[in-house]
Amino acid sequence: MTAAPAVLAKDLVKVFERGRRTMWQRLRGEPDKRERFRAVDGIDLVVDPGEIFGLLGPNGAGKTTTMKMLATLLIPTSGTIRVLGIDPLAHPREVRARLGAMLSGERSLYWKLTARENLEYFAALYHVPPGETKARIERSLSAVNLADRADDYVERYSTGMRQRLALARALLPDPPLVVLDEPTVGLDPQASRDLRDRVRELKAQGRTVLLTTHYMEEADQLCDRVAIIDHGRIVALDTPAALKRTIRAEEVVHLEIGVDGDESAVIARLGRSATLARSERSNGTLTVTAHCASARDFVPAAFDAARSTGATIRHIEVVPVTLEDVFLSLTGRALRE
Amino acid sequence: MNLLAADLRAFVAAARKELRQQRRYPTLFLGLLFWPVLLPASWVLMGHAYSGNDPAALAAFAERAGSPDVAGFVFVGYAMYMWLSSLLWGSGTALRQEQMRGSLEAVFVTPASRLVPLFGPGVAMLIPMSLTFVIMGVALWAFFGVVPPLAAVLQAAVVVITGVPALYAIGTLFAASVLRFGEVGPVVQLVRGMFVLACGITFPVAMLPLWAQVWAWLMPPTYIVEDLRRILLRGANLADVGPHIAIVLTIAALIALLAVFVFRALETSARRSGMLGRF
Repeated sequence: MTAAPAVLAKDLVKVFERGRRTMWQRLRGEPDKRERFRAVDGIDLVVDPGEIFGLLGPNGAGKTTTMKMLATLLIPTSGTIRVLGIDPLAHPREVRARLGAMLSGERSLYWKLTARENLEYFAALYHVPPGETKARIERSLSAVNLADRADDYVERYSTGMRQRLALARALLPDPPLVVLDEPTVGLDPQASRDLRDRVRELKAQGRTVLLTTHYMEEADQLCDRVAIIDHGRIVALDTPAALKRTIRAEEVVHLEIGVDGDESAVIARLGRSATLARSERSNGTLTVTAHCASARDFVPAAFDAARSTGATIRHIEVVPVTLEDVFLSLTGRALRE
Repeated sequence: MNLLAADLRAFVAAARKELRQQRRYPTLFLGLLFWPVLLPASWVLMGHAYSGNDPAALAAFAERAGSPDVAGFVFVGYAMYMWLSSLLWGSGTALRQEQMRGSLEAVFVTPASRLVPLFGPGVAMLIPMSLTFVIMGVALWAFFGVVPPLAAVLQAAVVVITGVPALYAIGTLFAASVLRFGEVGPVVQLVRGMFVLACGITFPVAMLPLWAQVWAWLMPPTYIVEDLRRILLRGANLADVGPHIAIVLTIAALIALLAVFVFRALETSARRSGMLGRF
């Protein structure tokens, strides 16, 4: 018998209204002319127990909306959700009792309370039995390396420490499923690495982790599987390695080319030796991202192409394929746009 | 631990969290020392100035208010006003602060009853409010020489305690609106103003036009303030005000039911529109 999915979403849709409808318009019974847009547009998702699953996409792609629907904070417009086999619409309290959620990060804490006081409050909200509360708080603080600062006011913490405390709070109910919305946003590289280590430990403890991120390195390094999401739809879903294989390139070459006249000739010549994922001209500089089998073969061809069309290569950079390139090849846009 | 016991524990934790946060801003308590004295004292002095301490004017006041004690009348009314203000603003403000801080979603993603963050902060306000009552009593004694008998004070405390659910329910009704509409301050201002005007806070209800008096007697604060004055200033006892207490408790139950219904409806609406996390 196979275990039930930790998360299952089927044809999940969330529609929001854009614009505003004034009280005066409502009172006069004027027709609602607000634009409806699909923040989440038919997402199908199965997260297996014990895996780290990432939703990767740019800001506004629908990641957080999806997460909030799973966490019972938003009611879907249509579709089916099961969290640990439970329907969150019919039994929201049962879902919340089994779910550790870190949604608004450091903002979601009480800065005038100490870390321990924050966790005492949330332990009561999570219905942790009184006899277990102290041990559960100690365990959660130790899990995020904050035990020695437990009695400091949160206002004295760094951003990274607050993020870790928010994670400690999510661990209070000892949840089989932890959802993390952009857990490392705003953190410096060291704090990000530290938090990612904590997330790996959650997996090692047998928990399922569902996280959203717009950092491709984070999704690549941390996740067992990644769903790339754009405009409310999943455009690709697989392991990071398999996703990277889909673009059929071993290396990515970024070029900056000085062009005086029409750039179409140099683009056409470059396109003979590699797949051009992106080309963009700004003033006299043409920026090109090329996917190729071997940079060793493509780079000389690129110089030839530039020379023969009167262009000049100003900068060249060869990098391995990343999820950013996968996103680029699927959507024609970079993740940070 | 059953669900009700777990929610009660969460309720206490919410009140304790609120008190802890209040304690970390000690200057807030300074306001508790002077406003409960300065505001009613200025009204008492104004009353004396307008009457010119003319015995005929004071007799006219006694006829309408049921007591010649102007200072006692005003202080009891103001105690009611401050209590009402605290509960009308308190729950809504606490919920609004949670929303703006970003902690509301963190609270709402726990299995605790939604009524915990709604009602919990109001409990924490009872402590500073009790302190306000004590300060007003001391000021009444020290500046105006009014000392109600201890038995009357104890019976007044019972009226205050039985009035808590009604005022709590009124405050909660407005707090619920925060979930859907965000800022409800102007509405609370309006309602507070209506209570001040209609419930006999600073003048006897008898001064209102007849139609307004009918409305006044539909509002719990009118009964509470009237009963407090009867006990503290006119020698009535709990048995005398018993029917009023029953009316207040009945209205409280109705408003509380309405508040819970409104809260549920607005919470569902906020979960549909995404307003929970917006401000």
